[in-house]
Amino acid sequence: MIIRAITLFAAEDHTVTHNWLLPETAEIIYGGLASLLVFGLLYKFAGPLAKKALAARSERIQKELDGAAQARSSSEIDAAEIRKTLGDIASERSRLLAEADVQAAALIVDGRNRIASEIADLEAKAAADLVAARGRGAEELRSEISLLASLAVPTVVQATLTDQTKQDLIEEFISSVGAKR
Amino acid sequence: MSKASIEAYARALFEIAEAEGHIDTVENELFHVARAFESNEQLRSTLTDATIPADRRQNIVDQLLGGKASNTTTQLVSLVVGSGRSKDLPAIIDTLVKRASSEKELEVAEVRSAVELSADQQKRLAAALTKATGKQVNLKVVVDPAVIGGLVATVGDEVIDDTVRTRLEQLKSRI
Repeated sequence: MIIRAITLFAAEDHTVTHNWLLPETAEIIYGGLASLLVFGLLYKFAGPLAKKALAARSERIQKELDGAAQARSSSEIDAAEIRKTLGDIASERSRLLAEADVQAAALIVDGRNRIASEIADLEAKAAADLVAARGRGAEELRSEISLLASLAVPTVVQATLTDQTKQDLIEEFISSVGAKR
Repeated sequence: MSKASIEAYARALFEIAEAEGHIDTVENELFHVARAFESNEQLRSTLTDATIPADRRQNIVDQLLGGKASNTTTQLVSLVVGSGRSKDLPAIIDTLVKRASSEKELEVAEVRSAVELSADQQKRLAAALTKATGKQVNLKVVVDPAVIGGLVATVGDEVIDDTVRTRLEQLKSRI
């Protein structure tokens, strides 16, 4: 039959068609059959591959969606954590500032007290030094007068001791020794 | 020099002086030589200087005492100086004086005065010291200007001090 068909075709003029728009009937039939065959083969062999590829793509997209959801969830947790941390930082800052204020006030009070105490000590020491210096001066003066007196007295005594006085002293000694016992 | 050596020298000098027959004079002169030796630094250093020959030191003694002391005194001092015992001269003489006094049952009473004492004063002073100490005393007066005025008497271990020097020292320590 095929050979017959080929013969028929060969016998016809292939440059002239039966209709200006439609192809020849046989061509439609064979073309249709060929198209069906091609589509059938495509459906049988390429269909599963395409289905599998689509399934894999869907699965990948789903995974990506899941990952994105998970990342979003994680980001939200992180954001919450950061927000919480920010809150804690603000609170810690306030606490530290308040503590620093308290310490600064205590330091000022302590410093004032210490300075006042040091001033009092210095005043007391200065007063004591003054008294000691006065005492030293008086003591030095007394000692100087004593030294001068002790140096001057023998000279004065020797200068004023007459022979008569010396004889009187000898007589006085003899009398006093003789009066003993 | 040991005490025994001093005693031996003193005994020898005493016996020589006694043999010569004028122990009282010699003892008195020796006493004054000893005090002069103690008070005169130059005399002391000259007589104790071992670099000066002994005969030269003896000549010095002869020159110093000749005509002022008896020959016996001069010779005894010269003897001690010549034997190289000048340093112990005062100790030897003091021992001799004590020995001479004890022979007469007397205690040496050394009295220092700024001025000479008259014979009458010495007599009354000896009597006063005898009365005060209960011992017969052999009075030895040393003229010592350092006492300034008054007297200081040493009888054995007892010292009676009423000198101006001591009064001044007391006043100085009080000041």
